[in-house]
Amino acid sequence: MNTTFKTDIIGYGLFAALILFVVPWAFAFDGFELNTFARYLTLGMVAMALALSWGYAGVLNLGQAATFGLGSYVMAMHLKLRASASSYNGMPDFMGWTNVEVLPWFWEPFHSLTFTLVAGLALPALVAWLMAVFMFRGRVTGVFVAIITLAFLVALQLVFISEQRYTGGQNGLTGLAPLELFGWRADAYSTSFYYMVAGCLITALALGLAVVRSKVGLILRAIREDANRVRFFGYDVARYETLAFCVSAALAGWAGMLYVLVLEFASPTYMSVPFSLGIVIWCAVGGRESLVAAALGAVVVNMLEGRLSSIFVEGWFLFLGILFIVVVLVMPRGLYGLFSDAVQRLQTVSPRDRGGKVATKATPLSATPAVKEEN
Amino acid sequence: MDSVLNQVFAGLSMASILLIVALGLAIIYGAMGVINLAHGEFVMLGAYSAWFLQEQFGLGILVALPVIFLMVAVVGWLVERGVVRWLYHRPLDTILATWGIGIVLQQLVRLGIGPESRYVARPEILDGNVILGGLVMANYRIFLIAFSAAVLVGTWYLLTRTEFGTKLRAIIQNKEISECYGIRPERVYALTFAYGAGLAGIAGALITPLVSVTPGMGTYVVVDAFLVVIVGGVGSLIGTAVASGLVGTASAAFSFLLNDTLGRVALLLAIILLIRFRPMGLFPDKVRR
Repeated sequence: MNTTFKTDIIGYGLFAALILFVVPWAFAFDGFELNTFARYLTLGMVAMALALSWGYAGVLNLGQAATFGLGSYVMAMHLKLRASASSYNGMPDFMGWTNVEVLPWFWEPFHSLTFTLVAGLALPALVAWLMAVFMFRGRVTGVFVAIITLAFLVALQLVFISEQRYTGGQNGLTGLAPLELFGWRADAYSTSFYYMVAGCLITALALGLAVVRSKVGLILRAIREDANRVRFFGYDVARYETLAFCVSAALAGWAGMLYVLVLEFASPTYMSVPFSLGIVIWCAVGGRESLVAAALGAVVVNMLEGRLSSIFVEGWFLFLGILFIVVVLVMPRGLYGLFSDAVQRLQTVSPRDRGGKVATKATPLSATPAVKEEN
Repeated sequence: MDSVLNQVFAGLSMASILLIVALGLAIIYGAMGVINLAHGEFVMLGAYSAWFLQEQFGLGILVALPVIFLMVAVVGWLVERGVVRWLYHRPLDTILATWGIGIVLQQLVRLGIGPESRYVARPEILDGNVILGGLVMANYRIFLIAFSAAVLVGTWYLLTRTEFGTKLRAIIQNKEISECYGIRPERVYALTFAYGAGLAGIAGALITPLVSVTPGMGTYVVVDAFLVVIVGGVGSLIGTAVASGLVGTASAAFSFLLNDTLGRVALLLAIILLIRFRPMGLFPDKVRR
């Protein structure tokens, strides 16, 4: 067990304890406040999903919001169908306004809850798989991956907005029924709902950590540092990149499903460019080299937004842009980088104070060099 | 037949604006390997400068062009000196940083000037049309085509026939050796970035009589310009010129035949496919690198 692994586990444990015990207590179990915080947690989940592909595999996905949005629409379609069970033909109201006669075939399976829950993970993963095979088999790397994913995101959002008959267009899907799971009714403003979201995030983080700390994770980091060398060792680089991309997409889809439950509507803004940029910013602020840090980054930035945007509404986005530039320039490893540097300094200083057996313990953290990208 | 001709002509005039935007983008990418996601905001700044100079000093676009070029070039120079130059060894981060800069610029304009649309008058000298049979050509659009051709020739001259251009090409070929010959890359980079930004500013000013000026206008233009750079390949001026003609008319044709949204989607898919299958562009430059 090396030191980074220990830091990860400790950080993970602290984070879990924080969101499970401290936060509900700090908000005095108030339903409204906990709903707001549950929103931050879902955003933390999608930031963590990005850290998985960007921080570990070096695949910068600027279109993470696309998979997030797909997940959210999957969940919203199910809830919309439940809400419109009593209306004409059991069809959602907006279809009536746009003269759709029968429920489109691709809406049919969303009557089933099981299908919805599976599709919320599988559909984003499938889309990501198609993109990944398309990109990584052709050895597209670095900035070009970023541009392709960004272009895909914009195209997807355009399609969702223009196909108003099937997707609700600019309005998205509103007037949703609450989710019912094993007889439990998801009330977005209840404490049990908060624990459900927190539990999901903790589970997702555990899954992510399991991937990252496995041999696959090691190879992913090797790819990030030098893809060609990994290729020379006989590993199929494209396959590992695809895997990271798909897991990241599935987690983002999961976060999207939760996000719909929290806010009780789905909107095409979930797959907008500013939203996707937001995900990248949260991840960068927290630190892309650590899943927990990325999730924490999302929570912190969004809490800031909650506090600051009430003071200066228009200025928030300006502040976010400046914050982003500063983070990219000055601390590319985010808060996590600052933290781990500090720890490293402490560890290299303290043995000298004790004198004697120094050298062996000196640089345990050198296993994680600063993130480097190559063009 | 006449309507097709008119459509092609309108497409060409948009393509000439696109050419000026794409030239700036291609020069910055070709010289420094920086994908400048703030380029659209430089276009927007140019448009706002045109509006500002007209409101405050009653300057027409044509008179104001050199001023606008300088204003936006200074912004570009500041951006390069302040942010981009720290990131040359981290190409992925330049995307992020320029993206951030784009947001900041857009938001500053939105806060300082306001989100509502502004309008700039067309220069009066260029009112009226030239009519050839069934083809009606607005003088302003003819001027656009001629002007962009002049910009293309000027850029070619700058890159191949001046000391600055020679230095730039030397740096592109081998930065370390150029430094040994006493060329200061950071100075050349800053000027190149400023030149690219200035071109975007000019394009933004020229487009104002045709579209309304809003803080978000740049993002729309820059997607097309991006496609031009990808189609044309980096480092080939002729490639950029041909590509902007292709993209301009194709994008006009797409939105004419399908609808605006599907036209945009087709454009984006074209970008994706081209990056995947022809990453060096359709007219790769065999000499460089």
